[in-house]
Amino acid sequence: MPNEPKSKPRAVRTVSRSALLTLPMALFGLLMFSRTLALPGAAAKMAGLAAWLFMAGLFFFMMRTFETYRWRRIFFVTLGFLFPVGFIWDLISLRSSMSIPIEKMLSGDTPFCFLVIPMTIIPAALTKTIIFPGSILPTASNPHAIATMVALWVLATLVLGKAWCSFGCFFGGLEEGFSALAKKARINKINPRWRLVPWAVLAAIVLLSAATFEPTYCRWLCPFKTVTEYPEVRSVETAIQAGIFLSLFSGLVVVLPVLTKRRTQCAFFCPFGAFQSLFNKITAFDIRIDRDKCADCVSCQNSCPTLALDKDSIGRGKTLLACMKCGACVDVCHKGAAVWHVKGTAPNASPERARLLYLYGAWAFATMFGGDIIASSLQKLFGLVV
Amino acid sequence: MLFYSNVSFAAEAVLLGLASGPACLASCGPVLLPWLAAEADGVRGATSRLAVFLGGRLGGYLLFAVGAWALGVAVPVDSHARTLVFGLANLGLAAMLGLSAWPPRGSCRNNAQRANALVQVGEPGRTRPKLALALGFFTGLNLCPPFVAASVRAVETRSLAGALTFFLLFFGGTTVWFVPAVAVSAARRIAEVATVARMTMALLAAYYAYLGAMSVSWGILHAQ
Repeated sequence: MPNEPKSKPRAVRTVSRSALLTLPMALFGLLMFSRTLALPGAAAKMAGLAAWLFMAGLFFFMMRTFETYRWRRIFFVTLGFLFPVGFIWDLISLRSSMSIPIEKMLSGDTPFCFLVIPMTIIPAALTKTIIFPGSILPTASNPHAIATMVALWVLATLVLGKAWCSFGCFFGGLEEGFSALAKKARINKINPRWRLVPWAVLAAIVLLSAATFEPTYCRWLCPFKTVTEYPEVRSVETAIQAGIFLSLFSGLVVVLPVLTKRRTQCAFFCPFGAFQSLFNKITAFDIRIDRDKCADCVSCQNSCPTLALDKDSIGRGKTLLACMKCGACVDVCHKGAAVWHVKGTAPNASPERARLLYLYGAWAFATMFGGDIIASSLQKLFGLVV
Repeated sequence: MLFYSNVSFAAEAVLLGLASGPACLASCGPVLLPWLAAEADGVRGATSRLAVFLGGRLGGYLLFAVGAWALGVAVPVDSHARTLVFGLANLGLAAMLGLSAWPPRGSCRNNAQRANALVQVGEPGRTRPKLALALGFFTGLNLCPPFVAASVRAVETRSLAGALTFFLLFFGGTTVWFVPAVAVSAARRIAEVATVARMTMALLAAYYAYLGAMSVSWGILHAQ
């Protein structure tokens, strides 16, 4: 981000009040990590404990400092970098390779990813067919089943909307990590029309998937094939696909985030993010700009990782549809004009209560989904030394 | 007896079209829907453009029907020639989509946009309603499953007129499913839709260009 959210001259909450507010989340975390803690071996116990302390600790600091973005980012980047570690580990253990041979695809052993969801809807509605070579229910050879991922996605989306991209998407964590590397952005002027590209990619992949009955995005455009699993290179076509995956990953996930300090893949390419934006209309939480307090300094606009604020939207006191509710604009606003808000209530009625309500839902999801991934990856890493 | 046979023949063609219409729409959707969203302004404009598109598609169908009947097989036996023909159709489709995605020359608003061709993708410019005919024609030439089913039945008829009639009636059956596509024009109320639709066409042009290039190279390489 061009402007990192900095601490505002605001009083911190007392330790006892912060601990009290953290207690429900800590207990929820204990419940979630109990499965890992109960596994045999010191590595599992250490991983479960570390993940629990990590998640509960970050929530405590969110409560204590009134800040969201900074602590969420620590979780999110950790998730982004630990997910490929655990995922690739599993692939190597199961198949001795990151590439997936066509035989495994045909036997339904491809792990299901949420990015596929928008492409499956039309073919599923028309023919009751899921156009993905995975299994509906978890199996020994493919624990990442379609039903599990879709159920999690529905649950999280109804509550969080596009905040999925801030608390759940393990791919976004990689970009956020790379975007934090440089001190200053080298590219500051970005044509706002690039924000429309994710919608075009979404339209193209949905239409092509309906026409060809195959998940077009996974086959041709997914940058994250580079750090997960990809089709075995056996032909000119698969070689071209591998080249596209690698180019998109290095360009959109590594180089451009460093140069712009934005989440460029999320803002200018990801079709799932565009799809998820639609659900921002139905969720209870959003971010508002109090026009009475706003000094039009546009620091919120500059801080947004996905360009979800512009002068017009600030003037209207609302974010754009692309807002992923990461909290960067709220934390950077020194006037306290950017606030968390529950729809149906008066703007700026009780923003901290709105933030708490939102964070309990978002962090519970983060603990359940991302926390489990972190614990699982840590277990594998600790297993190397313990 | 002949009357009943003709009625049965006609009903079969129409019903086949009606039954496979959703598959036809899914197959033509990547070309038709973004183009309508980018070009059509209002229901009347969308209807006239859709009619031109369908006219082009009918032209493609009938040309294929003539070819299928003349060769006496569903698709040409020589797979190299067949791949080459469909590859060229895909390249034609890519060219038309590319033309639709980029604004016509002279419509860019300023020098900066003129200088950077990449930024011009999706820039709303003058519309090109005549492209509908070419887009429809190239999609009509594309091989989709309902099309194969119709062509198999068409070649079984003993006359060219019979094959053409079968394709015409089949086309009529599928057309019913295209009528709701007019509703896409309602999306134009959102200012950004035309730009997004043009960007979508640019992406689809790249896809069809790849398909076309691969098919043409395969056809040429294996023909020698």
